[in-house]
Amino acid sequence: MGTLLEVKDLRTEFHTQDGIVHAVNGVSFHVDEGETLGLVGESGCGKSVSMLSVMRLIPMPPGKIASGSVLFQGRDLVKVDDEEIRSVRGNKIAMVFQDPMTSLNPVLTINTQISEALELHLGMTKEQARKRAVELLKMVGIPEAEGRIDDYPHQFSGGMRQRVMIAMALSCSPQLLIADEPTTALDVTIQAQITDIVKRLKRELGMAIIWITHDLGVIAGLADRINVMYAGFVIESASNKELFANPLHPYTLGLLGSIPRLDEAHKAKLTPIEGLPPDLIEMPKGCPFHDRCAYRTDKCANENPALELGAVRHQVACWNWQDVQKLRATIKR
Amino acid sequence: MGAFLVRRLIWLPILLFFISLITFALGLYGPGDPVQVMMGLHANPETIERLRHEYGFDQPFYVQYLRYIGNALQGNFGYSLVKYRDQPVGKLIADALPATIQLNLLAIGLGVLIGVPLGLLAGLNRDSWLDLLVRAFVIAGISFPIIFLNPVLTFIFSRRHDLILPAANLAVSVGPILPMVQGRWEGLLSAKIILPALIESTGVIAIMTRQMRAGIIEVMNEDFIRTARAKGLRERLVIFRHALRNALIPIATILGLMLGGLVAGSFLVENWFGVPGVGALTFDALSSRDYYVVMAMVLLIAVAYVVSNLIVDLTYGYLDPRIRKQ
Repeated sequence: MGTLLEVKDLRTEFHTQDGIVHAVNGVSFHVDEGETLGLVGESGCGKSVSMLSVMRLIPMPPGKIASGSVLFQGRDLVKVDDEEIRSVRGNKIAMVFQDPMTSLNPVLTINTQISEALELHLGMTKEQARKRAVELLKMVGIPEAEGRIDDYPHQFSGGMRQRVMIAMALSCSPQLLIADEPTTALDVTIQAQITDIVKRLKRELGMAIIWITHDLGVIAGLADRINVMYAGFVIESASNKELFANPLHPYTLGLLGSIPRLDEAHKAKLTPIEGLPPDLIEMPKGCPFHDRCAYRTDKCANENPALELGAVRHQVACWNWQDVQKLRATIKR
Repeated sequence: MGAFLVRRLIWLPILLFFISLITFALGLYGPGDPVQVMMGLHANPETIERLRHEYGFDQPFYVQYLRYIGNALQGNFGYSLVKYRDQPVGKLIADALPATIQLNLLAIGLGVLIGVPLGLLAGLNRDSWLDLLVRAFVIAGISFPIIFLNPVLTFIFSRRHDLILPAANLAVSVGPILPMVQGRWEGLLSAKIILPALIESTGVIAIMTRQMRAGIIEVMNEDFIRTARAKGLRERLVIFRHALRNALIPIATILGLMLGGLVAGSFLVENWFGVPGVGALTFDALSSRDYYVVMAMVLLIAVAYVVSNLIVDLTYGYLDPRIRKQ
């Protein structure tokens, strides 16, 4: 399988009154055709901003893509003109957003909102687009789709609205679907339905997916590969199984709630990560995680580690990942 | 919908009862007396007493009030006591209304036509020099009183100005750009209406501009605008299809409330420009204690506001489907 999207050294910053917020700090990753990539991290770690940068949807100003490239089908999306990025948006790369209650326009019918992308990118007539919109609603499991196509968003429940969002995103058969925490605002049972729908549609349509979440439980059942982000950096990247079986970064360990502590028997199963993420305006010099890290050394405070190969197809950005690995091995035993 | 309409209309007579009672009482017990004004300061006290008896002003309050209401229900709103002596009030107001409505229509129309695009431009180019200029204009429009604008704009636009620059050996004459109303009122299609309408509209323009600017800024930050952009829509379509209608909802509310004011004349503008409208009529009536004219105007304005509020509520559903279904 070929590479569909390749992001290199992407940096996005926001110029605010308080200073420059470094939201994304040189992120590199790729997505293969038909692959599902999970993007994991806590709020404000740059997951959404990096993906909005790929689509060039961050508000500019105050936002700015300071450097980097986003290669998609031989084009650098950072550099193409507005006309060209618009022809990609909603067509080749589509996006589903977090809050289905606010992401649909309250004064336009569902038909209008789904049809407009079909008319724009596929040149359909109003009638063709309407027919296709009904098919799409059926595809995402909305009952009585014909009768509901002229309804307004407020007439749908949250889960149904998210299905509409997915139908809208998939309307032009994109090669890449970016799902920005699509289940976060939903009830747990509805979450499961939505993930099931996306999994089924992926099998049927074969698009690649980037699934952003802070919920490791959701991503474990979905992703082929997972990138863990922290303070605007990708700090660990591995296949789904490998990451859960053999986490190498102390932050990932923390996320998994299993930091081993030497001064304590490992009775306590859930251990929160102490402290807060760094201020993105005044970034610390060394590793962004060092003041919260149980494994830190002097080097961590002064130099920021780059991603390096820690295991087969497993990259980690930590000076002490070998120690982490050894320590974990001893505790397991 | 029907039940809603009935409920709202039931309130109308109750509201009118209280408004008429209060206005009537204020007129009767307030200082001043129409007969006194009519006869002048040196009138014979006996004549005044006779006239008061003739007009029924010596009767108890409730008798006068009930008689007024009884007549009003039959379409008789009394007669002017002072300036237009013995002319029926209904006819006086009916004759004056067209001028006021024309003036207000043009003022509100100008307010929308200028205010909405101006606010839209300013909001979409937030913090640009244009936005700063518009914001300064809005503050000026809201804070300059009409009593100041009347003479200043009249001086600027309806007089001839001779600019003589001896150094450059230059003499230029400008204007008058806009004619004064002076003499005969010629209505909506005459150039004479522009200056008074423009002054009337400064407040409207300012309010519309401010609301539109705030509205579009708020809407452009909504999640659904990002969704629209994520579909690859052109910015023009994002603004006109997705943002504008949402931002126009509060504009419709303000506009509806202003429509109630269509029948209420502006004392200051109508008097200054000699517009023969209800504003000038009411002003005269107030200063000469011409009760019945004032009463009828107050009732008319009350009805107009109730009706326009009703229209706002009914048309709201057209713009906002969330309200339609409830």
